[in-house]
Amino acid sequence: MSPLTTAAPGAPVVDLDLADLRRDPYPAYAELRRTAPLAWVPSVGRHLLTRYEDIVHAEKLPEVFSSREEGSLLLRTVGPNMLREDDPNHRRLRSAAEPPTRPRQVRDLWAASFERTAHELLDRIAGRGEADLIADFAEPLVAANLALVLGLRTASAEDIADWSRAMMAGNSNYADDPDIWLRAERATRAIEGAVAEAAETARREPDGSVISSMIHAAGPVELAEIQNNVKVIIGGGVNEPRDVFGVGAWALLNRPGVLDRVLADPASWKRVFEETARWVSPIGMYPRQLTQEYEIAGVTLPAGSRVALVIASGNRDEAVFERADEFDIDRPHRPHLAFGGGPHFCMGAWVARHEVSAIAWPLVFSRLKGLRLAEGATASDSDSAAGRMDGWVFRGLTSLNVTWQAA
Amino acid sequence: MPTVIFQLPDGTERKVTAASGTALMQAAVSNGVPGIVAECGGNASCATCHVYVDAAQSESAGPPNDVEDEMLDFTASERRPTSRLSCQLQLSDALDGLVVHVPEEQV
Repeated sequence: MSPLTTAAPGAPVVDLDLADLRRDPYPAYAELRRTAPLAWVPSVGRHLLTRYEDIVHAEKLPEVFSSREEGSLLLRTVGPNMLREDDPNHRRLRSAAEPPTRPRQVRDLWAASFERTAHELLDRIAGRGEADLIADFAEPLVAANLALVLGLRTASAEDIADWSRAMMAGNSNYADDPDIWLRAERATRAIEGAVAEAAETARREPDGSVISSMIHAAGPVELAEIQNNVKVIIGGGVNEPRDVFGVGAWALLNRPGVLDRVLADPASWKRVFEETARWVSPIGMYPRQLTQEYEIAGVTLPAGSRVALVIASGNRDEAVFERADEFDIDRPHRPHLAFGGGPHFCMGAWVARHEVSAIAWPLVFSRLKGLRLAEGATASDSDSAAGRMDGWVFRGLTSLNVTWQAA
Repeated sequence: MPTVIFQLPDGTERKVTAASGTALMQAAVSNGVPGIVAECGGNASCATCHVYVDAAQSESAGPPNDVEDEMLDFTASERRPTSRLSCQLQLSDALDGLVVHVPEEQV
């Protein structure tokens, strides 16, 4: 079934400017939820589905809302991979790759190394009294952790972070910029080489990593499948925990009263994590393609229609979350959509929860005394959206400049 | 077809009938039982379909499998000896009349 690249009959057409969406997509999403919860957006080339209940409904029907979107940017960047497969092929790859990311493995195999790396990075900056917590801490931390969990022993944290940036630019290259494609291709070639090397080692010496787990999986997994899935994991595995770290730290530094309460009750870091992921979801949307005609949000979509599930919008849906635009760690527990749902539920969820809420935030706030936003960085969240947060397919802080009392 | 009774944290209960072989989670979600979130759709990856099997029936429902056992250590509401992930519990005629308690929190 070829994808349909035009609006479904009867679907409202809404023009959205991609540059505006990158700056701050939330006002546009609020308007769509109110007036056109399924809308064809020409600049995206897809129907945007923006209400919470409709998104959850679609996620629970993978046989209708297929992940096998033809011509998807992700497929072009990394080749066939489990995010763009349906079961049973998705399940075969996911089962092979998943064991090292399950919560007990995170605790028993990886947590001590995660913590050591976090301390080393803080040792480097502690005496300076100022830093960009994204570039100097969060990104190198999550990249090093990812290299470890994947089993890429020869890749540096910097390699991982560079590869991730190059591929993520490709995955969100809705403007089809040729330079972005070129950079992404260089990154994916480098990853293929590193994975081939790591796979060779893991074949002889299993090490509990994702590559090792895929090599030794019960079902057969080809090297090319391992390479492509490692690419996908590197793409998301840096951005998402880094961006939750940054946005959550930013939110707390702007709310000293909330920060004091969290510091007094370390169990509440978990709430900070989930609320941050809801408030500014690191992945804002992902695509699906219809396998058959289906009616949703009042529109009958023909088979082949392309739909973007806008989870960033679902997570701000006032029908589910009161005062949805506010960051509020005390809000009633309602499941957010930031990890996606159904068979593709985020494989890195348990790694990210641990490295960010059990390690990165507590260590940063306990070791850097008197931590505060750098002069000029303090602003309301709406101002910050203009200057510091960026992106709509993927969204986070581009920098987080802070100061503290250097020892 | 076996019938299951979900006892909700607010004190009310919901009775659901489903075919043998259906996962308890699926029976709950298809019938809109509140409090069974099941983010991962039944793959034992998310720990959000946690239930407590009524103590008297815990033995006939059986123990959790290995993958489930691990995930039960990470549920939002406390783990108890009767804890199961409802996506891993298959209904059968032998379990007709099963009573399960839905915990306060899943996320």
